[in-house]
Amino acid sequence: MKVFRSHFLICGGTGCHASGSINVRRALQEEIDKRGLSGEVKVVETGCNGFCALGPVIVAYPEGVVYLSATPDDIPELVEEHLVKGRILERLLYKEPITHEVIPRMHDIPFFALQNLIVLKNRGVIDPENIDEAIARDGYAGMAKALTEMAPEQIIKEVLDSGLRGRGGAGFPTGLKWKFCSQTPGDLKYILCNADEGDPGAFMDRSVLEADPHAVLEGMVIAAKAIGAHQGYIYCRAEYPLALHRLDVAINQAKEYGLLGENILNTGFDLDIEVYQGAGAFVCGEETALMTSIEGKRGMPRPRPPFPAIAGLWGKPSVLNNVETFANVGQIILNGASWYNAIGTERSKGTKVFALTGDVANVGLVEVPMGTTLGQIVYDIGGGIPGGKKFKAAQLGGPSGGCIPIEHLNTPIDYERVTELGAIMGSGGLIVMNEDKCAVDMARFFMDFVQDESCGKCTPCRAGTKRMLDILTDITQGMGKEGDIELLEEMGEIIKNASLCGLGQTAPNPVLSTIRYFRHEYEEHIREKRCRAVVCSALFKSPCQHTCPAGMDVPAYVALVRAERFDDAYKVMLRTNPFPSVCGRVCDHKCQSKCRRSNLDEAIAVKFLKRFVADHATKPKTAPAPVTRKQKIAVIGAGPAGLTAARDLALRGYKVTVFEELSEPGGMLRWGIPAYRLPRDILASEIKDNIEDLGVEIKCNTRVGREISFEKLDSEFDYVFLATGAHKSQSMRVQGENLSGVFGSVEFLRDFNNNEEDWLSGKKRLGTKVAVIGGGNSAIDAARVALRLGADVTILYRREKKDMPAAEEEILAAEEEGVKIEVLVAPLKIEDKDGKVCGITCERMHLKDFDKSGRKIPGAITGSGFTLSVDAVISSIGQAPDMSFVPKESGVGISKWSTFELARGSKSQTANPKYFTGGDALTGPDTVIGAIAAGHRAAREMDSCIRMENGEPAYQEPPEEEIEVPFILDEESVEAPQAKMSELDPARRRRDFAEVELGFERMQAVKEACRCLRCDAEID
Amino acid sequence: MDMVNITMNGQKVSAPPGSTILQAAEQAGIDIPTLCDHPVLISIGACRICVVEVKGQRTLITACTFPITEGMEVQTESPQVVKARKFIIDMLFSERNHYCPFCEASGNCELQNLGYRYGLDHWVYPTYTKAFPIDSSHKYLVMEHNRCVLCGRCERACSDLVGNHTLGLRNRGNSSMIHCDASLPWGDSSCISCGTCSQVCPTGAIFDRRSSFMGRDEQTEVVKSICSGCSVGCGTEIVTRAGNVLRIQGDWDAEVSGGLLCQYGRFDPLYEGRERVTKPLLRRAGKLEQAGWDEALRAIADRVGGARANELGVLTSSNCTNEALSLLDMLFRRKLKAPNLGLLNDTAPEQIEPKGWLADIAKSDVILVVGADPVKDQPVSSFFVKRAVDKGARLIVAGGKDNGLAPFASMNVEMADVNKAIEIAGRAAQPIVLYGAGVTEEAAGVLKKLQGKAAFVPLEPGVNTRAAVAFGFTNGFKPSAVKVLYALVGEQDCGITDVLKGVDKNVFLAVQASFKSPVTERADVVLPMAIWSERTGTLTNTEGRVQKANKAVDPAGEAKPDWEVLSLLAEKLGKRLGSSLDEISVNASRQLK
Repeated sequence: MKVFRSHFLICGGTGCHASGSINVRRALQEEIDKRGLSGEVKVVETGCNGFCALGPVIVAYPEGVVYLSATPDDIPELVEEHLVKGRILERLLYKEPITHEVIPRMHDIPFFALQNLIVLKNRGVIDPENIDEAIARDGYAGMAKALTEMAPEQIIKEVLDSGLRGRGGAGFPTGLKWKFCSQTPGDLKYILCNADEGDPGAFMDRSVLEADPHAVLEGMVIAAKAIGAHQGYIYCRAEYPLALHRLDVAINQAKEYGLLGENILNTGFDLDIEVYQGAGAFVCGEETALMTSIEGKRGMPRPRPPFPAIAGLWGKPSVLNNVETFANVGQIILNGASWYNAIGTERSKGTKVFALTGDVANVGLVEVPMGTTLGQIVYDIGGGIPGGKKFKAAQLGGPSGGCIPIEHLNTPIDYERVTELGAIMGSGGLIVMNEDKCAVDMARFFMDFVQDESCGKCTPCRAGTKRMLDILTDITQGMGKEGDIELLEEMGEIIKNASLCGLGQTAPNPVLSTIRYFRHEYEEHIREKRCRAVVCSALFKSPCQHTCPAGMDVPAYVALVRAERFDDAYKVMLRTNPFPSVCGRVCDHKCQSKCRRSNLDEAIAVKFLKRFVADHATKPKTAPAPVTRKQKIAVIGAGPAGLTAARDLALRGYKVTVFEELSEPGGMLRWGIPAYRLPRDILASEIKDNIEDLGVEIKCNTRVGREISFEKLDSEFDYVFLATGAHKSQSMRVQGENLSGVFGSVEFLRDFNNNEEDWLSGKKRLGTKVAVIGGGNSAIDAARVALRLGADVTILYRREKKDMPAAEEEILAAEEEGVKIEVLVAPLKIEDKDGKVCGITCERMHLKDFDKSGRKIPGAITGSGFTLSVDAVISSIGQAPDMSFVPKESGVGISKWSTFELARGSKSQTANPKYFTGGDALTGPDTVIGAIAAGHRAAREMDSCIRMENGEPAYQEPPEEEIEVPFILDEESVEAPQAKMSELDPARRRRDFAEVELGFERMQAVKEACRCLRCDAEID
Repeated sequence: MDMVNITMNGQKVSAPPGSTILQAAEQAGIDIPTLCDHPVLISIGACRICVVEVKGQRTLITACTFPITEGMEVQTESPQVVKARKFIIDMLFSERNHYCPFCEASGNCELQNLGYRYGLDHWVYPTYTKAFPIDSSHKYLVMEHNRCVLCGRCERACSDLVGNHTLGLRNRGNSSMIHCDASLPWGDSSCISCGTCSQVCPTGAIFDRRSSFMGRDEQTEVVKSICSGCSVGCGTEIVTRAGNVLRIQGDWDAEVSGGLLCQYGRFDPLYEGRERVTKPLLRRAGKLEQAGWDEALRAIADRVGGARANELGVLTSSNCTNEALSLLDMLFRRKLKAPNLGLLNDTAPEQIEPKGWLADIAKSDVILVVGADPVKDQPVSSFFVKRAVDKGARLIVAGGKDNGLAPFASMNVEMADVNKAIEIAGRAAQPIVLYGAGVTEEAAGVLKKLQGKAAFVPLEPGVNTRAAVAFGFTNGFKPSAVKVLYALVGEQDCGITDVLKGVDKNVFLAVQASFKSPVTERADVVLPMAIWSERTGTLTNTEGRVQKANKAVDPAGEAKPDWEVLSLLAEKLGKRLGSSLDEISVNASRQLK
């Protein structure tokens, strides 16, 4: 045999063919020939390698280096570097999606390293059209053993003992199925292979057939021997031309070698295998429908009994197994049952192949031992969710399956556990969905699929799925009704219970499982006409507006920026938000997270455009609002929630008084957020222009329970809005927390903002080496302030950087300025010397299982303790409201998280109907825009409560000033990234508290606004 | 036989092994509702109305398909079952247009009955939104898809009972609908108008054009009878209201046909357009005029009585009862010694033994059809053949490329080459030979080689040909010496016009007929005869089976049953051959044996 110094294995699965592997292969061969290397280097086309997302995949042996996404243009350089110069071509190597680490060797890439290949052992290794290569890798050895050494009973026993269960989805023990059939008398029996893979997103069987068809043939011969069949059929859908071709080649080669057909291996055993092409009906994957289809009739399922093992194809005893099941058999016989059943969980043995697709970095084919957790598959093998999005759920088992949500990432995947969670193993389609997928829409999609694919035979499946689809469609279109969810559940249960075949019996699963895990999303669709994933387009005008908690009309003001009508843009903003300048600087811009433009390149810079408008518009003069109503309203806390509510109530004619404990209004905006992010004057003028000028009275330095008693408040005001925020740092619960030199981040920031002079002049001192504990925005703020005070700052965070809740741009800015970030570290004890902080002892962490938020739980590494020498510690692990001002007898409830409790069914009213609440005091620390939305809501509800009590009609909004929004849309959008915001130089930033972000230039803003795709447009 | 014991709703029930839960329930008097299931069709468990709860089963199961096993515990009306059934009924009603008041089947509808049974008093789900087209291209039937419940009975009847495979299902899921061939209009399809589909349809989806809206079940009367369309002798149910025949249905209990009918039996008799003879007619002074029975019979008796035996001629079609044939034989051959008696239609060759039955077709592995075209002449027997072919039997047709069965045959041979077919049949385990009037003498000889191996079933042309042959009537009338000719034409003229061309114009012609025709125009006396629905009498089918046809309505005008006319004529001739039907029947059957 000719020996080559190097082999280039190029993937020839359908996936890689689609990404151009045929041309790459041709180019590779030509280049090798051109350089006269054809005697030294062999190019082999293999079956699916599994790493489909990054195809075409080339593996160069003997080094085992994998080159990805190669195009024919890359080939000359690849050959030059790898084969001529002996160097690795780095730009075609695999890069870890998050760390960007380059990994040259296939077996070092986590995607491959964590798999356990039995069924796919030959994938990407052999030429599937060359039987010799299969034989060289033990192909047909199991069959030879079964035919020459074993009686049918022994084969069946071996398979039974192995614990192999049907990989088609139901998980019926394979050996038992064979046993039933072997015990049925009859001269004529059939062995059938189900290769009618129809689940959307599933391609396991296709890949097995394309990569190693011989393994399937071998399994079928063994099974045929076990049951006494001499005729076999492989039912493969016609949409799989490559699989069909390779099967054909394999059958012919096997026949030629005497491994199939008459008198196999001279043992006197005959088996002929025919390939039957299915026309692509989903239901034909059902056992009896498949048989009916082979019989030449319309593929519709038949009732059981009689079971196919008794009366199957043409009424004869038959065994039908799926491709993957058969592909396991040869190795079970060869290596023995105990080898096989050592892999897997108690009741699910061996491995399972999954087609990993959807919102996951490494789309491809993976084979893992039963019992591997969902999190390991999605994160460790799949590389996690791309684009910084959050995992939402994985749909397992296709349209017959169910979804497994984020809180079950630690679930070991085996038949039992998956069923408990309301999904099914199915044939192995695993569709990963991120937060941008709507649970209701997903259920609707799958229901649409099954009702379309229902054969129409039995009533529950045919008509029931249609009716369920109607209801789901109504919900996604905003026409859902109370009771729909319960009706869907009831229908689903009956359809499962009363349908004829597996299709109907599992069809409601996606609906039932999404209701089980995402009932709140159904309720939001029905009651609030809200789709949090921003998918159900009938419910909203544009994704940005729908995502904004305050419902800001983003497309309108972006369009007005484009038209350079900045004053109008500001007026549009002011309709829903009294703080455009603030939000233009510190908003967490959820609107940008769902921007449709990001599907093309990057989201529109909505936040920066807002700031541009706020900075450049001529502010309209605010006239005092006349007091027309007699109720007096107090607002406690002059933060964004309180001030927004005060403004809304004043506009509705109420006399509003705001009480603020601190010396200036603004809440967290004033006392928590440093001035380099939000300059003081900007905040102050917005409060004055938009709130105070309306006639709202703000009483600073007035704390309830100190300057004014709760009783007095209660007697002087008719209604009270409690918006006191969350201004108390939570305890770290470590020794030394009370030492001097240990600060809570909000307390530190508040003190700094209150006594800036003292801090800057050095009258107040923090320390020279500061440790900040935590990873939220407050931690970053504290760290950057500490840095500006001249300290050497290290942030200690217990998870990984990607898990930090702070905004990504904030983390980056802090690092640029010189803040160090240590991850996977948690404090154990604060060390002191003479009562003063002198160090912090920490432990290294490693990540374990997933928590309910989908992040891995950190766990201490024993003996990893170390001490950092610091002289100050800022703890920033969370904030809670300070509820000490609320008397017990007030009737206002307080939760165990020290937040206000609402009256049943209300969104802002407390148990004492006179008191309303909102913002951080209700929810715990949240965003500015969330607080603004809460202020609007509280004002609305308070007003309607008053009107209801008085028997008055509902409030009518006064007519808004008509602002015509131009509709101009570019015919074609050219890919262009978001406009960059210019910033102060990091070195300059450290010196003072000047605003870091400098704002857009006029033309920059207009150009950015032109990128908007105008999702709000309604085209008739 | 050991019985299988189960409990159903707590009650102990025993049934033979292999029984389904439904069958066991029927025996125990427990009513499980069904919709897609039908006693003559294979159960497919499609509609799911018959679901029951069986202890230990993962889901509800269909009583119509699930076999009983010892110790099984079944609940037929548990809350879970009732809930599922109500859901299914709701689904069916919501799926298409089941707004009963407009439907022909209202009152006879199985879906409607289910709605009543389970208290459907309002639409739970929105009703159908997608209207399906109505196919009214068929001559006799209408297919109203909007009332279809997709039970598949019609399709199974068409395929499994008739072997015609015209009806099938197209599209999937909610868009599924019955279609004809590759979605042809029904009227242009391969449909042979046997109408079995309409008889099994549980709703008003397939209905009879002619009788729709003419009466619900409780407003009609049903008389069981035997079809006189051909020699198969299918059982019928004649549905009448106020003396009018509304429609003809197959009799599911019929031994020969098991409920099947063909176009000749189900539709053609009702679309009769010819003018009836309702009163005796007598030629006076060259002109045919109405006359009284007595007058007319006397005129015949005079001429018959005055003629010599060899001047008497008798012609009969086989479309008459055993009783009439018997009387004809007794009166003319035995009493009047007339030698010249002829049958208007051909007959199959002499009976070849061993004699088989049509039911044997289903058990045969090779079917040899020789000199017969059952598709044309005995359609229901062709259904049996096609059914057997579907199940894997081999069909060989000898004689005639135009044979209706030729497309279904695995081999077609010329009559001269019948030997080839014999060879194949000889190797079969259970061959059957269906032979007809087209068998040549030579071929008949060759067929005998299969004696002892095959079953032989003659397929006689005409209706009561088997009896006619038994009474000695054969196709051998000689017109030469005849002076007086008595012709029993019945309902069909059976080529008598051609025969009469050879008969001298001066010959006295007495015709017993139901319809006006050139023959009655030529006749000197015409005796009005009752038709199939108006007379009682027995018929002998092609297998030799004697079956009773019953009167459903009164004869038109003064028409009388064929046998009664002959009995009256005999009286006039002074020969008493019996006057009551029973008496005559007993004589006839004695003769037939």
